[in-house]
Amino acid sequence: MKKRVLAAVMAAAMTAGLVTGCGGSSDSGTQAAATQAAGETEGAKNDETKAAAASSDEEITLRMSWWGGDERNEATLQVIEQFEALHPNVTIEAEYGGNDGYHDKLATQLASGTAPDIVQVDPEIFPTYVNTGDYFLDYKDYNVDLSNFEEAYISVPINGNYDGKQLGLPTGISGAGIMVNKELADAIGLDFSKTYSWEDLIDMGKKVREYDDSMYLLCANKEYIVNLIVFNYAKQLIGDTVFNPETKALNMTEDQLKEVFDYVKRLYDEEVVPPASYQAAYSGDNLQSDTNWIGGKYVAALTYISTIDVMVAANPEAEYIMSELPILDGAAEAGWASNTPQVFAITSTCEHPEMAAEFMDYFFNNDEALATLGATRSVPPTEKARQICTENGSLTQVTMEGANIAAAMGGTPNDKISSSEESKTILFDSVETIGYGASSVEDVTKDAMSLLSGLGQ
Amino acid sequence: MKGKANYRKRDYQAFFYIMPWLIGFAVLQLYPFVSSFIFSFADYNIGAKPVFIGLENYKKLFTQDKEFWNSLKVTILFALYTVPGKLIMALAVAMFLNRDIKGINLIRTLYYIPSLFGGSVAVALLWRLMFLDNGVMNAMLTALHLPNVQFIGDTRYALKTICALEIWQFGSSMVMFLAALKQVPKSLYEAAQIDGAGKVRMFFSITLPQISPIIFFNLLNQMIQALQNFTSASVITEGGPLKATYVLGLKLYKEGFSYFKMGYASAISWVVFTVIVAGTLIIFGSSKFWVHYGDE
Repeated sequence: MKKRVLAAVMAAAMTAGLVTGCGGSSDSGTQAAATQAAGETEGAKNDETKAAAASSDEEITLRMSWWGGDERNEATLQVIEQFEALHPNVTIEAEYGGNDGYHDKLATQLASGTAPDIVQVDPEIFPTYVNTGDYFLDYKDYNVDLSNFEEAYISVPINGNYDGKQLGLPTGISGAGIMVNKELADAIGLDFSKTYSWEDLIDMGKKVREYDDSMYLLCANKEYIVNLIVFNYAKQLIGDTVFNPETKALNMTEDQLKEVFDYVKRLYDEEVVPPASYQAAYSGDNLQSDTNWIGGKYVAALTYISTIDVMVAANPEAEYIMSELPILDGAAEAGWASNTPQVFAITSTCEHPEMAAEFMDYFFNNDEALATLGATRSVPPTEKARQICTENGSLTQVTMEGANIAAAMGGTPNDKISSSEESKTILFDSVETIGYGASSVEDVTKDAMSLLSGLGQ
Repeated sequence: MKGKANYRKRDYQAFFYIMPWLIGFAVLQLYPFVSSFIFSFADYNIGAKPVFIGLENYKKLFTQDKEFWNSLKVTILFALYTVPGKLIMALAVAMFLNRDIKGINLIRTLYYIPSLFGGSVAVALLWRLMFLDNGVMNAMLTALHLPNVQFIGDTRYALKTICALEIWQFGSSMVMFLAALKQVPKSLYEAAQIDGAGKVRMFFSITLPQISPIIFFNLLNQMIQALQNFTSASVITEGGPLKATYVLGLKLYKEGFSYFKMGYASAISWVVFTVIVAGTLIIFGSSKFWVHYGDE
């Protein structure tokens, strides 16, 4: 009987673990995090004590977080070292890793007041944070030289400016485009150098299949199809953003959404893109690991300027050129504009904002820092940095080409409801359902309409 | 009287000794437990103040959220595939390893290794690579002149692919089975042998009843784990394709940390909790018919 009671107690303990969000192993994680947090608070207290002692060489520790690949991480760490060498009393603790889960963690840290002092944020997620709390400091209140940035570029919300406050600084110029394997396109007779329509894209797809049925025109997955095709097609069709940012209402009718989804269905049916079941293995930011891309079996890929280098590295044999995205005949709105791939912000919980600002000033303006960072965060945001990177060869021709094309498109960036994870997930699911042929386009459109219109409420 | 006073003093001391655990429990388990219950009745976005909305979250979950019913079905299917699969696998390997041959300890360790990786992301990533269209598994199928399978992209196989990972990590159940098997008195088998019982009869009439408390424990443990699954569904298939692997654990995470709807996510966690409690009660209720304790 004793054993039975023991078993009951253990079962209860294990079950209770669920609601508190942790099993045995994650318990230790939480504990470790708690201990760490406690340590940090203590550290902060020590800092305060030292601040009270007040001297210019007070020991300062800053935390900085970002996501990125190896190259970006190494360059950023080097810049941190350079800054620390110039300021022996400053230690900058780097917290970096992949993009997966980065913003989930950051949201929790911001809400609980434990976010790092300097944070890299996705500009499309940034407004969500700005709207929910007073989490970031205005760069204009601190000593950061913004003169190298073009005023028109940094004064828009997507590049960090909200209600006149410069809450974030853009790290580069990004945008979308299509990168083309030039040799292959020439061999098949596809011309990407002139403006072309969505219909032309489908015709090109057919030509590729006729040329070689193991090849497809476009390397893409549901995420890229939504971000680069659905949003652009929709914005060109309605001549506006998908949601009205003021009234939060949908700007598009059910018929318009159906037209966009019909086009997506044709992409799959006419084999412009590989089957949905193939794409599933390379979803999210994993296009570069698609073995058909590595093997040169695509003529082109949907891409962001900031990922061009990664895509090139996956299949470095080919010669690439950049092309603009298709445009709808008579469209009043290009659909896409250049924006930044990330912004850097100083959090309001930072205890040494002056020093954090000084580091950001170094990061964005110092010649040595700019040369070290190169194009690891897309095409640099200032003319000065671009010049340095072109001279030292860190900015490739194809990336520069991509930035020029994106900048020339001059459309409107997505509104903040369209950019939210929830609206994107609704569209990802819709595209996936269409791709798998699991429901008719009519049904998918009805479902998506009802879910999307619920978002603005 | 004096004895009783001493006893009481010792009681307080005991409390003092377990205080670190009690504090940890209160802060890391009890507090989140209670607050998640309260938040489940609130509209609570990260960064904003929670607003009490009564049963609205639960109402939406049960009546409007189509995804929820799919996730519940997927989660239960996942448990139905993995729990028996894992137990049978663990018991079979434990039976095989319960013998005295040279190097048996090394072999036992080898079989336990997959469990050391636990629910880690690295092993899930490796699994993903193995089951990609051009991964090791399809290369093996090709070598055997069998048609290739889209393990991750095909809705019919995606859930089974992540179940296979779970079943492969049978080590901890196996170790417990192994220990239990060693506890079964040899004399029972000898007596049965004299009575003319065969191997199969001995397994069902001696081994299984004798190790039933451990089967019970493993069953409960694995069921609870299976209903909370998150890592493999998140890393290998991201809940896809077409939500075929969108387990409740993943939905809970998405609602909470991607859409910042903490109140709604709390409500989901309480539904999962209820499902687990129901499962536990059923298993407990049935145990008096099939679990035999030595001290009874």
